[in-house]
Amino acid sequence: MSVCPPYAPFFGFGGVAASMILSTVGAAFGTSKAGIGIAGLGTFRPELIMKSLIPVVMSGIIAVYGLVVSVLIAGGLRPTDYSLYAGFIHLGAGLACGFTGLAAGYAIGFVGDSCVRAYVHESRVFVTMVLILIFGEVLGLYGLIVALIMNSRATEAPRCTY
Amino acid sequence: VLVKLLIFSAALAIAPVASYFLSKDYLWEGNTTLAAITAIMSANTVLVAYIVMSIREERLATVKPATSHTTEESKKDR
Repeated sequence: MSVCPPYAPFFGFGGVAASMILSTVGAAFGTSKAGIGIAGLGTFRPELIMKSLIPVVMSGIIAVYGLVVSVLIAGGLRPTDYSLYAGFIHLGAGLACGFTGLAAGYAIGFVGDSCVRAYVHESRVFVTMVLILIFGEVLGLYGLIVALIMNSRATEAPRCTY
Repeated sequence: VLVKLLIFSAALAIAPVASYFLSKDYLWEGNTTLAAITAIMSANTVLVAYIVMSIREERLATVKPATSHTTEESKKDR
């Protein structure tokens, strides 16, 4: 058993891919589900469209979280002298950001759809919608924070001289 | 309306990644964690700017028809 086996970068790249893929799936779900409600609102009150696009912008931010974590992890990968410890850290960081982004996108989608439909009838729903969306967005932010903390521990990984 | 949306979409795509790489090299001297935090703060700034812009635009749209209605009624009174 060596500290830096040749298959260690597999886990590192798996973390990069998982972060981007899963957070994008969450963002796509949020965008599409909220977009259904916005299309319904647009037929009745087209002047409210700019305000009702806020769930879509927040879903985009979820994808940006996954992108930043992917770029961050990919910056720490090396072809040689890459320990299995660092590989597992990077995989964990990518999975943490990816799955929380999936959850946040799911929440933003459902909340955006129903709140935007309710906004047609009652304009005071807007502040409530923004509050609930912020709470859903913060779920993705928690995953990003944990991914950042994990990734910062990868620099103390053992070095191999070969 | 479309131009504003395009500008915001481009800003949301470009600003975080650009701020990550620029702050990593010029602000934080290679510390990647702080650079990632800077990127996330720039993305949230774009979001807050969008929310503020959409609220202001809706306020302008609702104030304008109200003022035009009052001037028309004064013409009827004459």
